[in-house]
Amino acid sequence: MATKAQNLEEKMFQQSVAMTVTLIAFSMLFATLFLGFFLVRFNTPMWPPVEIQGMPVFLPLLSTIIMAVSSFTYHRLQTREPMRGFYWKLTFGLGVSFLICQKLLWSALTAKGILVSNGNVPSMVIAFTWIHAAHIFMGLALLLWLGRFIFKKKEELTEIKLINVGKFWHFLGVVWLLMYLTMFVL
Amino acid sequence: MAFLEQHIHDEPKTFVSKYLISYDHKVIGKQFLWYGIFWLLVGGLMAMLIRWTLAYPGVPFPIIGSLLFPHTGGVVPPDTYAMLFHMHGTIMIFFAITPILIGAFGNFCIPLMIGARDMIFPTLNMLSFWFSMASGGLLLLSLCLPLGAAAGGWTSYPTLSTNLGQPGAGQTLWLLSLFLFGASSTMGAVNYITTVITLRAPGMDYFKMPLTIWGIWLTSILNAIFVPVLGAGLILLTFDRVFGTTFFLAGAAATSGKGDPVLFQHVFWIFGHPEVYILILPAWGIVSDLLAFFSRKPAFGYKMTALSLTAITVLSTVVYGHHMYTTQMSPLLTQSFMTLTMLISIPSAIFFANWLGTIWKGSINFASPMLFSLGVVFVFGLGGLTGLYLASTSIDLYLHDTYFVVGHFHYTMAASVLLGGFAGTYFWFPKMFGRMMDERLAKIHFWTTMIPLNGIFTGMMLMGWAGMHRRLYNPFIYEFMEKLMPLNKFTTYCAIAMGIAQITFIYNFVNTIFNKKLPQAENNPWKVGTLEWDMPSPAPYYNFKEIPHVKCGPHEMGNPNLPEGKDFQYQTEELVKA
Repeated sequence: MATKAQNLEEKMFQQSVAMTVTLIAFSMLFATLFLGFFLVRFNTPMWPPVEIQGMPVFLPLLSTIIMAVSSFTYHRLQTREPMRGFYWKLTFGLGVSFLICQKLLWSALTAKGILVSNGNVPSMVIAFTWIHAAHIFMGLALLLWLGRFIFKKKEELTEIKLINVGKFWHFLGVVWLLMYLTMFVL
Repeated sequence: MAFLEQHIHDEPKTFVSKYLISYDHKVIGKQFLWYGIFWLLVGGLMAMLIRWTLAYPGVPFPIIGSLLFPHTGGVVPPDTYAMLFHMHGTIMIFFAITPILIGAFGNFCIPLMIGARDMIFPTLNMLSFWFSMASGGLLLLSLCLPLGAAAGGWTSYPTLSTNLGQPGAGQTLWLLSLFLFGASSTMGAVNYITTVITLRAPGMDYFKMPLTIWGIWLTSILNAIFVPVLGAGLILLTFDRVFGTTFFLAGAAATSGKGDPVLFQHVFWIFGHPEVYILILPAWGIVSDLLAFFSRKPAFGYKMTALSLTAITVLSTVVYGHHMYTTQMSPLLTQSFMTLTMLISIPSAIFFANWLGTIWKGSINFASPMLFSLGVVFVFGLGGLTGLYLASTSIDLYLHDTYFVVGHFHYTMAASVLLGGFAGTYFWFPKMFGRMMDERLAKIHFWTTMIPLNGIFTGMMLMGWAGMHRRLYNPFIYEFMEKLMPLNKFTTYCAIAMGIAQITFIYNFVNTIFNKKLPQAENNPWKVGTLEWDMPSPAPYYNFKEIPHVKCGPHEMGNPNLPEGKDFQYQTEELVKA
């Protein structure tokens, strides 16, 4: 018969395996989108093509800073137990701010005439940000779920929950960083 | 590594908790089995309509034709024909084979065969089934739309699958349906992979797992990695149709900007080729076990078979380009893909030889699961060999998009998997439902399926070799194909015969489940030693009261040191030595 401690250790191991497999699956989704982007990019004779010239620079940069800070606040949430509620609010607020930034980015693109129907490069840039934003929604839903344990059912808050939600949130941050570098900087 | 012992969950007592919203892996497995059989019948009926049209173009479909197509007097119209072959492929691959081989056997067998009380995430498991149901519901809904269901072929290549080729909501619903299906598969994959890694009973090393589990586990790994790739393609195609993006539109199809239709082919086949192995690996695993069980011998080269399956899994991820030789790919790339594809034949040949080694000099019991397993050996041999032709660039350029390809992939993906599925159903039926299916009917089912099945798919390959193209409504308007009419009729007769043969299975299956006069099955009717046979039939809701301790491999049979009158031992017993 396994002991309680062994079961806990094993439970952490299995949750970690499951989250790793889940993140591999999500990575493949984004990797496919990156593959599409690079195929398009390398087959475009001039970069940036005329359809996306004049893309906003500030909003994507601001989004990147917000994501980086939110990853940091989540890390604090995990490690600073007494201030957990405060860091949760900060992380959640930053996540919402990121979405607002994305909305402003899409409006700015529309104002500059960069539309999804203008070819596969603007299609790729805009659709990519849509898909990433949909995942941020999922991340916020997970944060809300975690919030229940931080504020209400404190006794049910476990290290495993904190680690797994954190992995997903940091993963989204890394994906955004790659998107920012490939689509808006390089 | 610490070992996690799951709690015994409460016994479900109400109809809803027992049969509908069940968290029990065995019930979910049975739900997938019923679901898959339903779609198998729908897809099979579509196949009949397709074959009838090819044998008798312009002639009303008998009996139900006038009910299905009243406005044409029972004749399958051309647009419906295109819809039929699209939906037939989609249904058979995603809604029939996947639920049966992966959903049903994966769910039923994994915890029982590795010594666990349930899947690691029972709620996720239940959600996986209901996502699959929702996905099937959307597909059914698309059949009822005024402009009809999707009709661009199961591969849904743009431009055929964009708004230009497919106006109406049918194609969009198809995309959403497959996206949901993908979510369901990914949930299942996360569950299967984690369960196998973390819930194996003490002593159950990877190389003591039954090969069925190896096959399903490797399939899950492929599912977790490659289904999201299809998901990305489906999202982008949906955006093209709904939001006006132009990822896959080019030339006159794009009103502004330009995309690349071939990009979709890349994305589709990066998923699509591993999908072949996703479907077939569970069948290979099941057959590898059953050949040993019914030859009353340990599986020949067990480790090499497991490693060969793993090698095939790895190689299957880097060969997708052989589906795209005709897309003006660089010759360097075609040669690379050809070489990699040919390489797959090495591990395939290894485990095929191991199958033959297993039955060699075995004390073979030709029970129905064994007959179907031998059927898989035969049809996979043929299907695999014809794959070598298609791997070769120069031959593929001629055979591409002909019925040779249709015959080849039906031999490998349809015939092998279908026969493997039947083998598994006959084998685990007593453990699932507590009664034995009628062996005489099962054997009749085997022969009446096996003979026409070969008629159909060999016929298709011959037609393709003669140059008959796939997806044509009436190929015989072309003079050079007129002489293929008799062969088409022969193939259609075989298809009808095979369709009728399935009535035997349906009767046997339904009657055995619901006829309460039939006797209860023994706990171990096949006399094999894997963990699920060391418990009552049907398996109890808790699986194991005490988690078993595994001490030997899954195929310990025919050991000369065993006591008189016994030719196998359970995995929980110490290996008997001289």
